[in-house]
Amino acid sequence: MRAYLSVFRMRLKMELQYRGAMIGGIVCQMFFGIVLVALYHALYASKAQAMPIESVATYVWLQQAFFRMMVATDQDLYDKIKTGNISYDLCRPVDMYWFYYTRIAAQKLMGSLMRGIPMMLVAFLLPKGWGMTLPYSISGLFSGLLALFFGLLCMCALENITMAISMRTLDPKGIAGMLGLLMVTFSGNLLPLTLFPDSWQKIITMLPYAQLLDAPIRLYSGEYPVSDLPLIIIRQAGWAAVLILLGIWLWERNRRKMIIQGG
Amino acid sequence: MNTLHLYIRSMGMLLRSQLQYTSSFIMQTLAQLVMEGGEMLAVILVIDRFESLKHWTGGNLFFFFGLMSVSFYITEFFGRGVTGNFPSMVRSGQLDTLLLRPRGILTQVLCSGVDPRRITCIAVGVTALVMGSNMSRVSWNILKVLALAESIVMSCMLILGLFLIEGIFCIHSVKSVELVNALTYGGRSACQYPIDIYPRPLKILFTVLAPFALTMHVPAAYIMDKPLYGWPTWTVFVTPLSGALVFAILVMLFNRGVKFYRSTGS
Repeated sequence: MRAYLSVFRMRLKMELQYRGAMIGGIVCQMFFGIVLVALYHALYASKAQAMPIESVATYVWLQQAFFRMMVATDQDLYDKIKTGNISYDLCRPVDMYWFYYTRIAAQKLMGSLMRGIPMMLVAFLLPKGWGMTLPYSISGLFSGLLALFFGLLCMCALENITMAISMRTLDPKGIAGMLGLLMVTFSGNLLPLTLFPDSWQKIITMLPYAQLLDAPIRLYSGEYPVSDLPLIIIRQAGWAAVLILLGIWLWERNRRKMIIQGG
Repeated sequence: MNTLHLYIRSMGMLLRSQLQYTSSFIMQTLAQLVMEGGEMLAVILVIDRFESLKHWTGGNLFFFFGLMSVSFYITEFFGRGVTGNFPSMVRSGQLDTLLLRPRGILTQVLCSGVDPRRITCIAVGVTALVMGSNMSRVSWNILKVLALAESIVMSCMLILGLFLIEGIFCIHSVKSVELVNALTYGGRSACQYPIDIYPRPLKILFTVLAPFALTMHVPAAYIMDKPLYGWPTWTVFVTPLSGALVFAILVMLFNRGVKFYRSTGS
């Protein structure tokens, strides 16, 4: 356990190094947020929806703020797979799955906090209807945070599955691209899940992708009442367990059949 | 003419070399299809929920989306050297070898990359264009075809020009600058919807600084018989030229920038 904790800590520190790139990233992400909010304002002017525009804006900003949590990948690991250097990691006296799980968890957590917190601060300052609103209630905020933690567990598990698959195909771009698209679409980043057709809602909110950011955001904005929290946590924890088990199984199979790239 | 010949030769060579890895190529091309399909799905869902956007119908929106996809991905297909490879060429010092050869830097950079996987993205864009044109009941005539062709060519030049900004920054700071993405990829996201729905600052940004509105929205609106801001017909053929203008200015700046290039030494 201590080994994994120190991996986690080291990775956190590493992520803190790239502060320069961070500012450019924040500005860019903010710009995307503003464009999206502007688009929804125009759409709402044509046909208003049940969900108020303030909530849509909050949804967009939270998605943008935690975007890094979703898309951050362990570039080192990709390179190691490609060059064959992953063989060194096989020699470590730790479990490979959890070794990489803690690394990616640290990367996603720190990356999104560093970008997300300043972005949310700015988003709060924007005029009403354009910026973020305060949480629906204090308990909504805390249940959202708790759900975000479980969402992070799911996200890291999904990331490790993608890695396991690209270890077999050796070509991270194809499969990773497709899985990434599924994630961006069904997590609500491309279009808030609340704006998907009503008939789809029952299914898409059950998918693992909705557990990542959609569920926490809906708790935050009061779309889901706090009384639903136990149910949501059970759903998230269930998906996290399934995805982690699947990931461990895939990694174990890879480990047995591993052919190291020479070079 | 010699330059063009060189470019076509390089493209042929690069294409053949990329097609050597058939299965990987097919996988990645499919992945591109799914990705761009996802973008289109978002537009479909938006139209499904909101039906129209101000005075633009669903069909109009497909047309705008299609025009953006086609232009953007043609640029990425043929201009891969600028849109993708350049930052790593600077970082790895690969650019040094280009400086030694008796050809323009930009020509060589353009000749260095092609991205045939984008073909499926272009196909999605064409589908959206056809769908949009059918749904908006466009009555095509020779003028409209010309306007569309000019719009696509000029938009490609504009997009290539905007990607050059990243190249220029890159020469000065070595690291690729994420900020520039706001203009290129941000422009793609924003301007796949017509410009007149946005608030004034965004309108100014995408009309004056990065004139997507002039190269795409003015001609597209004319083709669908809903002239943007009610501008007269001659503007349809004049405003897209701003794409070439932006490209020319940035090529000039790029060539000046290269003079300041210092190799990373690796």
